[in-house]
Amino acid sequence: MTKPTISNQSVQPPEVMISAISRLLRDGEWVATGTLSPLPAAAALLAKMTHAPHLTTLIYGDPDFRLSEGFHELFALAQKGKIDVFFLSGVQIDKQGNINLSMLGDYNRPTVRLPGGAGSSMLSALVRRVIIFTTSHNQRLFVPKVDFINATATDDAPWRRGGLSHVVTPLCTMAFDGTKKEIVLESVFPGVSLAEVVRNTGFDLGIGERRIPIMNPLTDEELAMLRGPVQERMRRIYPQFAALVWGL
Amino acid sequence: MHSDLMKVRRDLKTVRDPYSGNEYVVVLPIMPDVAIIHAAKGSRSGEITTDATRNDRLLAMAAKKTIAVVEEIVEPEAVLPGRQEVFVASVHIDAVVLAPVGAHPTACPGIYETDAAHIREYVAASKDEQGFRAYLEKYIFGPEDHKRYLEVVNFRGGKQS
Repeated sequence: MTKPTISNQSVQPPEVMISAISRLLRDGEWVATGTLSPLPAAAALLAKMTHAPHLTTLIYGDPDFRLSEGFHELFALAQKGKIDVFFLSGVQIDKQGNINLSMLGDYNRPTVRLPGGAGSSMLSALVRRVIIFTTSHNQRLFVPKVDFINATATDDAPWRRGGLSHVVTPLCTMAFDGTKKEIVLESVFPGVSLAEVVRNTGFDLGIGERRIPIMNPLTDEELAMLRGPVQERMRRIYPQFAALVWGL
Repeated sequence: MHSDLMKVRRDLKTVRDPYSGNEYVVVLPIMPDVAIIHAAKGSRSGEITTDATRNDRLLAMAAKKTIAVVEEIVEPEAVLPGRQEVFVASVHIDAVVLAPVGAHPTACPGIYETDAAHIREYVAASKDEQGFRAYLEKYIFGPEDHKRYLEVVNFRGGKQS
């Protein structure tokens, strides 16, 4: 690994998240990203260009990713057990790793009605690892108990292959503790205080006596790839995101 | 449900459809360990075009591993299905093997036809053990490679290379 340089001062929050997600991906994995997932898409591309050259990236919306008929093939691949990693998000996430994508309040009289869970329930059970990414970090998002469960982190369904692996937010990374079956804090991003993370999370992060590490800054290699070939690919896959983050 | 198949096929079961309440016969899906399919065109990235009538895409999607034997390797942009062809994405293909006229003595539609004379010869040869062994020696074990095989079978036509 090359040492980070002064250029890290200009690193933007989404770039830190992209790097954090990228580092969670392992060489050789089949990684799929769904709709509205620019951060995981960029992370998968970055991982492939850095530490995981044998990653297979299946990015929804990527003009270079050809399917035979349509995105339903991705569900067939998941059923066959070919997808290692998939990314989900939610409007509520609780300590047990449940996610809510459906509505807020009472199901029959919701205060907010959302698009719904789509394939989250099925995919979270059939892929080996789920990584949750969020674009905010506050107590309305990280709640003690979700109003509606679209996907569980783990359960005893006989067909389940894996479950929640990590949660990456704009402030930190969290890991799913498979023994306790709870989300615990793993690392905070450079420049973020532990107190800020705790204050903005609506459940106990299982810190206890642990010393929570600060995530290593982006390496020169990561930054070069991110600001070079990853940007170029993202410009075609997620043009609005590329414009927002990099002004492309 | 009332055919004799139900008497001889122990893997066929009946189940009550929870929506209509009707009884249906169900069968487990077939998931081959390996599927080998023949395709007209393929690319190094693993996508192929194949004959639409043969359900090879379904086979590729069902199998745990799929090997595509192709007539020619082209650039990914040129892997476009023609009439009577379908495109199979690389996510369903594990390996691509370049073997022009690899379907011989059967046909690769649009490129070469079935070698009926050769199949008749095979049928005749397979009538007894000695004839079958002679066939294997002449056509399968004898030729050192596929190119030589095509010379031995006197292959003409198609895009021979």
